[in-house]
Amino acid sequence: MTAIWLLLALAVGVYLLAVLEHWASTNRLRPTAPILAALSLLGSESLLPRKPDQLFFETGPVLLLIAALLSLAIIPLTPDLIVTDLATGALFFNAALSYVLVALIMAGWGPDGAYGMIGGWRFLGQLIAYAMLVVMPITAVAMRAESLSTIEIVLSQEGLWNIAYQPLGFALFLGAGMAMAFVPPFDLPIASGDLAGGVQAEYTGVRRLVFRLGRLVLVLSVASAATVFYLGGWLGPWLPGWAWSGVKILAVAAVMLAGGRLFPRVSEGGLLAWCWKLGIPLALANILLVGILVLVVPL
Amino acid sequence: MSVQVIFLAAFGLAAVWFGIVVFRTHSMVRSALALLFSQTAIGAMFLVMETEFLGVLQIMMMATEMSIMAIFMVMFMMDPGGLGAMDMKHQRRLSLWAGLVAFGGATGLAFFANWGPLPAEIPDAAEQVRLLGFELLGRSMLIFESAGLTILTAMIAATAMAVLPGRKAEAQTSEPPGHEGHGA
Repeated sequence: MTAIWLLLALAVGVYLLAVLEHWASTNRLRPTAPILAALSLLGSESLLPRKPDQLFFETGPVLLLIAALLSLAIIPLTPDLIVTDLATGALFFNAALSYVLVALIMAGWGPDGAYGMIGGWRFLGQLIAYAMLVVMPITAVAMRAESLSTIEIVLSQEGLWNIAYQPLGFALFLGAGMAMAFVPPFDLPIASGDLAGGVQAEYTGVRRLVFRLGRLVLVLSVASAATVFYLGGWLGPWLPGWAWSGVKILAVAAVMLAGGRLFPRVSEGGLLAWCWKLGIPLALANILLVGILVLVVPL
Repeated sequence: MSVQVIFLAAFGLAAVWFGIVVFRTHSMVRSALALLFSQTAIGAMFLVMETEFLGVLQIMMMATEMSIMAIFMVMFMMDPGGLGAMDMKHQRRLSLWAGLVAFGGATGLAFFANWGPLPAEIPDAAEQVRLLGFELLGRSMLIFESAGLTILTAMIAATAMAVLPGRKAEAQTSEPPGHEGHGA
């Protein structure tokens, strides 16, 4: 029964995120847009470029989808509504999502096209920028919970949500998470303006559909993780737990998809400089601050 | 034979197979990613052996590390896509013997080493994380810190040597190094 509810939650979540993404990019709320877009992609021919590395070309989008789905396995919608409560949950989230990089490199290298390849390698550069800013804030979250289990992490926020306890960590994690899900302004690997779609450029038809689906699940996963790590997961008055989880996840996803569009696309070098010169010192300061708070004012 | 042993053997064979693929392909990127999946299979072996933290850590670290290795190979090798029949095998006789000796040594060690008594029960995953934390910040701290520093130094040194000014000009004027399998 749990499996059915989880699959249903996943389907509804991805659909709502697709509507949100359409709204964020066109400013029009059309509930039918994702369905029409999916049908249109299914109906169009899925072209094979000349001289592809076919194994990578076919594996890339599928691996992106699988990695994003795996990372959702440790997200609890309620204490009972979770695929698996691993003792290393917070680490597992990173492990699964590090294969997003592998997927994008494969998808970029595979079609034997310049735009795709540059897009794929760009994401590697992007990872060098954001990776530490995902892991270090999670370290501070785990320090407070004294556990890597996602359920324990939510329960540790009963007194005060982490967004209030460690706001700096939340800001860093959300920014890094947006870079990890390559949403604007961090959409360098699939930049439509300067790379003609980048990694996506050579994908058409059903393969492109799988790629875009994988990206949406990835955004859902990052938003869910932000909810679990910082917004108290299912905790909240009046509504049932799963509803709170849903509302919070959608709110974070809306901020990720719409908020990022207010900023101009960052450059690769700029992102690296900002992350390493400002982000990482701030993340270290956050760990120190939370460490002192955990020892001095346990909440 | 338990299910655990079957899975362990399957992942072990997968790791060996991907290791072989590293040298069978001509493409640098394929080679690097084959090495990645070989290491991922080893991570899966850790998971089968109920060492959850080590398994997840191995699977996570290798994805990033091997991808970075891939881009270094693409940047510094002359034929990253393998379209010019770039061969991954060099110094065949030496490497064959080195491989055989290493294999014999590892097998001998596995059979003849005194592994001590098996633990009666395996601590659960959460307890393992705690114990590892104490281990890493305790007596193993110096080893890990020096290993990390050594790797970092080696990486910087290797990159510095590869981009050393004058190396390119030197390579262009002198004879190309005689790798086996390079045209000729």
